[in-house]
Amino acid sequence: MKHPDELLHHYAANLKDWQRYALTVVACAATALIATPLAGRLDLANIVMLFLLTVLLVAVTLGLRPALLAAFFSVALFDFFFVPPRFTFVVNDGQYLVTFAVMLVVAVITGRLAAGLRYRADESATEEQHARALSEMARELSGALTLVQVTEITRSFLHRLLKAKGDILLYDREGRARATADAGAPALIVEPRLATVAFEKGEPVRCPQIAVNGYASLYLPLKAPMRMRGVIAVAPEDNDPTALLSQMTRLETMASLVAIAIERIHYVDVAQRTQLQIVSERLRSSILSALSHDLRTPLTALVGLADSLAVSRPPLGESQRESAEAIREQAERLSGLVGNLLEMARLHAGDVTLHKEWQPIEEVIGSSIKLLGRALAEHPVKVALEKDLALVSFDAVLIERVFCNLLENAAKYSPPGSPIAIDVTTTGERMEIRVCDNGPGFSRADNPALFDMFARGEVESAKPGVGLGLAICRAIVEAHDGTISASNRPDGGACVTFSLPLGEPPLVEEETFPGQENTP
Amino acid sequence: MSESRPVVLIVEDEKQIRRFVRTALEEEGCRVFEAETCAAGLLEAGNHRPDLVMLDLGLPDGNGVDFIRDLRGWSDVPILVLSARSNEKDKIQALDAGADDYLTKPFGVGELQARARALLRRQNRSEAASPNVEFGDVKVDLSRRLVTRAGEPVHLTPIEYRLLCVLLANAGKVLTQRHLLREIWGPTSVESYHYLRVYVGHLRQKLEVDPTQPRHIQTETGVGYRFEQ
Repeated sequence: MKHPDELLHHYAANLKDWQRYALTVVACAATALIATPLAGRLDLANIVMLFLLTVLLVAVTLGLRPALLAAFFSVALFDFFFVPPRFTFVVNDGQYLVTFAVMLVVAVITGRLAAGLRYRADESATEEQHARALSEMARELSGALTLVQVTEITRSFLHRLLKAKGDILLYDREGRARATADAGAPALIVEPRLATVAFEKGEPVRCPQIAVNGYASLYLPLKAPMRMRGVIAVAPEDNDPTALLSQMTRLETMASLVAIAIERIHYVDVAQRTQLQIVSERLRSSILSALSHDLRTPLTALVGLADSLAVSRPPLGESQRESAEAIREQAERLSGLVGNLLEMARLHAGDVTLHKEWQPIEEVIGSSIKLLGRALAEHPVKVALEKDLALVSFDAVLIERVFCNLLENAAKYSPPGSPIAIDVTTTGERMEIRVCDNGPGFSRADNPALFDMFARGEVESAKPGVGLGLAICRAIVEAHDGTISASNRPDGGACVTFSLPLGEPPLVEEETFPGQENTP
Repeated sequence: MSESRPVVLIVEDEKQIRRFVRTALEEEGCRVFEAETCAAGLLEAGNHRPDLVMLDLGLPDGNGVDFIRDLRGWSDVPILVLSARSNEKDKIQALDAGADDYLTKPFGVGELQARARALLRRQNRSEAASPNVEFGDVKVDLSRRLVTRAGEPVHLTPIEYRLLCVLLANAGKVLTQRHLLREIWGPTSVESYHYLRVYVGHLRQKLEVDPTQPRHIQTETGVGYRFEQ
């Protein structure tokens, strides 16, 4: 239950100015009307009291200016209706002038005091209401799960409290404005430059002059603990920016609440996405390894059976043995192809985790030559290393794949018996590795599509392969922050050059007891 | 059982692979038994006491690594793993569990026979241990700590010599990087793989004809090293 005075005040608060003045006039007139029949029985001093009471009531309910009007009007009414000679403003007895003066002064002072009291009471009530609205907003924000909800909560807060409209503008890490966190159509027109200034300086930007055109006149940065998240643009609904400026502290509090809510939502989002990524990666890798197993098992049988056929006893005839060997060769080629396809699928599926370790490059050169074995039987590989090569950090299994693909290509495209050269040099901060053959070279070495998937040097070629090899090489080398390019040797022959960043290898300490060697 | 023919057990679920592996091994003079599952494999191993086990890692009734652990509980028989190379971690796990070597599918008959021979030789050699090892033009006299190459003495640092000894003692067997580090530098340095690589490089410089294409100290990329005579 509200206090009757509160209730009265509540109604009075919604009145327009002219209605207040009219009410004041009516109240004073009513007092005069009530006092008239009593004029004969009551002392004039008591009638003055009635008028003073009226002024006080007007002051309490309708405010200062109506109270002042009531004071003057009461004095006039008192003079006209009650001071002899009645029904004129003429005063016979001079001492009534003192009465008027005192009455006026008392009326004005009480009116002022009462109205001031009222004003302060109103003020603190508004204050309390705002504080409650803020805490309510904070509670709502803590439950918000999407940016749209945050925008809605902010808008309803601005509307309820300040009769203002608002929009949230989000910025990414580089300070570019992203789309607004929109719940429907934008509520107001935003001046992007002012918003950017607010974002970059991290301070509110006010521009009351543009409010009249429906532009947002206030831009509050959204300062969250980790970084600046964006800007709230605010515009008063009635295009009067003064009300906003009187509420700056509250608006800034609101902005920081919104900023924290946005950051929280952002990190929830990040966590969810990471979770999803982990799950899908696990799925992908299990599919790939199942596929790899299923494809390799029949190929293993095929290679092995063809092989055992070739060496079976009693020995096969020449042409049968050749067939068996051809079957084996084809099966091995198929196996290589399957390997490349699976590798590409793995690389393409997204981030392959590199198991980088510091190691000498020659080790992986040696192991890939050995791995290719038979495929290199007709091509001696000449390895030329710069003296005292530093250790490089790379994933040995993947770089081995690069060498295998490059050597295989070189062997495939160069005449039998011709050597393949691997040169390793260091230039500045990179290690450069060149694999060159003595074949016809690339028809267009500068062709940027050479390293694309399913690209081949020649459009129609009798050589087997689908052009995955170089694409895989590029994917692996680029994952190592390296570069890869193709060229032709001046004397013919194709070269593929790739580089790896050198970095700072860890120290390998010299042995401390050189005297204790194995020899006496 | 008067026969001295080595006994080999194949644990592999793919019939056609079993078939050619059996042919290849019988050609080497082995007696061959087969099993399709882990459970059957363990039973057969108990019954026939094989000199060599060939094991596929992807068996229908369980993980091959568990099979190795179970078998290692009571037997030192050499284990050659047949793996469909999808990642190096599986191989390292199998080797750490006690496997001796692995072959990546697909593999040829010649390769298979060579690996099997090497492991069977290891099995026999424990009886007739000799302090002298020869490979290529290198001679190592373990009793006198003497290494010569084409008659010329080769100077090895203590670590290089220890590394060579560990490799020689495990000829034909894949040693994981972790295992080698622990053996030579002790248990505290099992993450300093680059040390191992640098010293292997030194050994190759001193003992291999072409250090960039080593014949004896071979790299198993992403896994470790293997010494081949």
